[in-house]
Amino acid sequence: MAATNAHDDVVSTHGLTKRYPNGIVAVDGLDLVVRRGEVYGFLGPNGAGKTTTLRMLLGLIRPTAGTANVAGAAPGTPASLTKVGAIVEAPAFYPYMTGYDNLRLLAIYCGVPAKRVDSALDAVELTPRAGHKFSTYSMGMKQRLGIAAALIKEPEVLILDEPTNGLDPQGMADVRNLITELGKGERTVLVSSHLLGEVEQMCTRIGVIRKGKLVAEGTIDELRGKSTLIIRAKPADQALAVLAGECGADKVKVTDDGAFSLSVEPARAAELNRRLVQAGIDVNELRESERSLEDVFMELTGTEGGL
Amino acid sequence: MRELAAELYKTVRRPAVWVCVLGLMMIAITIGYAVPWLAETFSKTTQGLPPGTTLADFKVTLYPQNFVFNTVGDPLGGVFALILGVLLQGSEYGWGTVKMLYTQRAGRVSMLAGKLAALAIVVVVMVIGLFAVDAVASVAAALFDGKMIQFPAAIEIVKGIGALSLDYAFWACFGFILATLFRQSAMAIGLGLAYALVVEGLIFGFGAALLSWLKNVQQWFPIANTGYLTDSLGSAKIKGIPESPPPFADATHAVIVLTAYVVVFVVISAVLVRRRDVTS
Repeated sequence: MAATNAHDDVVSTHGLTKRYPNGIVAVDGLDLVVRRGEVYGFLGPNGAGKTTTLRMLLGLIRPTAGTANVAGAAPGTPASLTKVGAIVEAPAFYPYMTGYDNLRLLAIYCGVPAKRVDSALDAVELTPRAGHKFSTYSMGMKQRLGIAAALIKEPEVLILDEPTNGLDPQGMADVRNLITELGKGERTVLVSSHLLGEVEQMCTRIGVIRKGKLVAEGTIDELRGKSTLIIRAKPADQALAVLAGECGADKVKVTDDGAFSLSVEPARAAELNRRLVQAGIDVNELRESERSLEDVFMELTGTEGGL
Repeated sequence: MRELAAELYKTVRRPAVWVCVLGLMMIAITIGYAVPWLAETFSKTTQGLPPGTTLADFKVTLYPQNFVFNTVGDPLGGVFALILGVLLQGSEYGWGTVKMLYTQRAGRVSMLAGKLAALAIVVVVMVIGLFAVDAVASVAAALFDGKMIQFPAAIEIVKGIGALSLDYAFWACFGFILATLFRQSAMAIGLGLAYALVVEGLIFGFGAALLSWLKNVQQWFPIANTGYLTDSLGSAKIKGIPESPPPFADATHAVIVLTAYVVVFVVISAVLVRRRDVTS
């Protein structure tokens, strides 16, 4: 993992807030740090404030309060945008122009050489369709063209808002692989999603947002927490006594279905099994349990709808 | 310059822009030359004409010496310029490309400047194109009728191009600011046309005939000033038809008022573009 000094903070926000005139607070005092070289997953249910945050980071929306820094400059300034490539929600292009012409247009805007257009199209494997009008593209091709557009500037930071939205499973896998590739090396990728599986596959670190607030941040393993041992044994009262004696009463919890959940190293499984058997207790089940990211997400956001 | 180059790159590739420019030229030839020439050549009616005047006497307006008056007096060009202004700005909201543009390197105001410069170029191309096709049509009319081909002085043509460019610049900027305000094309075109027809067309058109003080108010409104400007260039002299009275205000007044409208529209557009959130 990258070092964590301030120079490595490619994206940072402090108390970032967006309150709309109708009183809705879309983003509420957000403190976020994305470090150089990370693929940072910005996870949250629909309506949590992900897109509003990303728009503020791109200068599309002005924050009501708080500050942000993207690639060493204030969001939306030429100094920042020079180093940032982005897709915000569905990729938008001129329907009457070809994919090539759309990218060429962006190259002119950004003052980058035309040959970058060819390399960007190659990177997303869209060269064979580059001469076709954007209006004839499938959703997957539009999304890939959006990523190519984000790459035109050869940016230090990629900000991608739900890049797999509307894609079929194959398209989603392709875009996931592409983002993973793009995130290798020094480039930083900030990708928002409400899909746990894709975040789990792509991201090195995750921030979870709920109702505009960051409710958790860390690596996937950190968010999952330590794994536990699950033991089902009879008679239960005797088993509880043995396990409490071996591990400490505070480490043993009885679950709703009558099993014991032990907060101990999974390596102690054989030893605990032996103790129970020696005490004449029947052990019906003994396994390691790891919280899924989905469990963590549900806990943090209190929602099922976003999954 | 980069922003202007980019705006021109996409503008010249847009079929709707060419439909507007070429459509205006076709309509100008059809309504301004073909239909009048046919009517004035083949119709024998004298209804509504002063005694001793025939429709054929009006053909002089179609000949090269009067083509500047004919071109600047075209009543539809402003509508096409309005549509152009709306299209160049309003479509960015409709397609959602505004968020893509604003996340490129240039600032919002630079982008706006590039877009307005591209719009100005398209307007000037449209005006020059209109003058060119009208000149050709006027030559054709003169040749068909066996008349001498005599163009006005170059300075008169330049004045005409300048006047029509300012006229269309007003309309284009009017469309541009409406599209910026409403962040869409349909309402901008609808309201632009409604303004032209209802506010200045009906209220001043009919009201000024009944209430003389309305003329003093009207002189500060834009469409009236486009009329003063074109009228100040003069008109064709037709046998038996009295010359038009001079316009209520002179060309200088019209240029100042129209330029002021253009500047105000540009400044308001810049403020809106710079300050507004892009949420769609």
